[in-house]
Amino acid sequence: MGNFSSLLASYGPAFGQALLLTWKLTVASFVPGFLLGVAVTVLRLFPVPPLRFVLTMYVEIFRNIPSVALLIFIVFALPDLKILIDYEPSVILTLMLVCSAFTADYLRAGVNTIDGGQVEAALSLGMRPMRVVTVVVLPQALRAVVQPMTSLLIAIMLSTSLASQVPFPGRELTALVSKIATDSAAGISAFVVAAALYVATGLLIAWAGATLDKKVRILR
Amino acid sequence: MSRPLEDILFGDPSRKAQTTKRVVSVITAAVLLLLAAGVVFQFHAAGQLDARYWEFFAFPTTWAFLAKGLLGTLKSAAMAGVIALLLGLVLLMGRLARLRLVRWPSIAIIEFLRGTPTLLLIYVCFLVLPQAGIKLSTYWMLTLPISLSTAAVVAEVYRAGVLAVPRGQTDAARSVGLTEVQGFFYIVFPQALRYIVPALVAQLVIVVKDTTFGYVVTYGELMQNAKVLIANYHALVPVYLVVALLYCLVNYAISRASKRLGGPMH
Repeated sequence: MGNFSSLLASYGPAFGQALLLTWKLTVASFVPGFLLGVAVTVLRLFPVPPLRFVLTMYVEIFRNIPSVALLIFIVFALPDLKILIDYEPSVILTLMLVCSAFTADYLRAGVNTIDGGQVEAALSLGMRPMRVVTVVVLPQALRAVVQPMTSLLIAIMLSTSLASQVPFPGRELTALVSKIATDSAAGISAFVVAAALYVATGLLIAWAGATLDKKVRILR
Repeated sequence: MSRPLEDILFGDPSRKAQTTKRVVSVITAAVLLLLAAGVVFQFHAAGQLDARYWEFFAFPTTWAFLAKGLLGTLKSAAMAGVIALLLGLVLLMGRLARLRLVRWPSIAIIEFLRGTPTLLLIYVCFLVLPQAGIKLSTYWMLTLPISLSTAAVVAEVYRAGVLAVPRGQTDAARSVGLTEVQGFFYIVFPQALRYIVPALVAQLVIVVKDTTFGYVVTYGELMQNAKVLIANYHALVPVYLVVALLYCLVNYAISRASKRLGGPMH
């Protein structure tokens, strides 16, 4: 136990900051990623083959590329193309792109749960297709994907650890553990503390997701 | 099967609607082509289309080196996959045990491994274990953490499959005289596997992605070999593009396989 108290005495505030940075990166990439994913889903519904083709490519690429590979490309290769993005926005951009691709994929599955008859009914009431999308299709699709989106949020939260791969001024949890392990012999206790913070955050998200799911799920 | 939703949504057969569709398609195609041209021009303007950045892709040694990296990736991923499948089964048995003394630690281990980033586990094997006098090879520094975190996820996937098998199957197995263990392994688990094969194969995509961290421990997988190539030829953009493409292709193939496996079962 002595290990932990001395660790917390010297690194306690650093852990607090690291946790906050982890949360910040999570939210900053999940929210725009989610919105972008919704936009991609809607655009993929349009009867415009070239758009559908490009967006399907987009989803498949960012679903299948390892996030680290994407981050390294953005940070180290894009400057050669005269595009300079700072480290923190690079991490957020990486996770946002990956998040949007998975959101689009899950939401598509959510759209598929909706019966075609509902759309026919809405159209025959005289609604325009776009209005049917926004008031009939999207709300139900969103309510159907709370569970996978919760898992995605947890996955994004865990993926913020790849911020430790770029020389970031602030340190999130994984970067902090790697620094403590390099500087001192307290690596294992630092790891346990960080792991506990990650697990607690994950359980919190899972609980919130389950509560939301219970509230909005459509029983069929 | 009814028509896809988007066909119903935009299925207005009037000539006016059809013309609009066609016009919008053409305009969109033109805009997208223009965008693509812009990207190519950006490459050109930054000098990234110069022959010196691409000519080494004509050398067989380059591809041999990348293939070696890909093989390293697959070796690590395959081993991690196999360990995760077996260890996941052990964790599942613990998770389903009636004895609380076994069940609770199992739940704790699963939640712990599932809730920690793989990268953090890799750092533990890379930085912390050597301090404790445990020295792993770079292969295991990468493969072991991936195996552990995947095993925890696989255990939960197994559990979802087992819970999906109707309870009557267990009762029937017991009533024809099988022991509980026999009933689980001969009756319940094989059926559970059929439900979850697509999910397990999809998990393999995540394993392949995680092996990208091999460069952290300097294990010779695709990403690490890409870095070596870049150091040799000073061609960041082409090498990273090709490597990203290779990863996408491998993972896309696995995803497709998982979707196909999902098909005929139901």
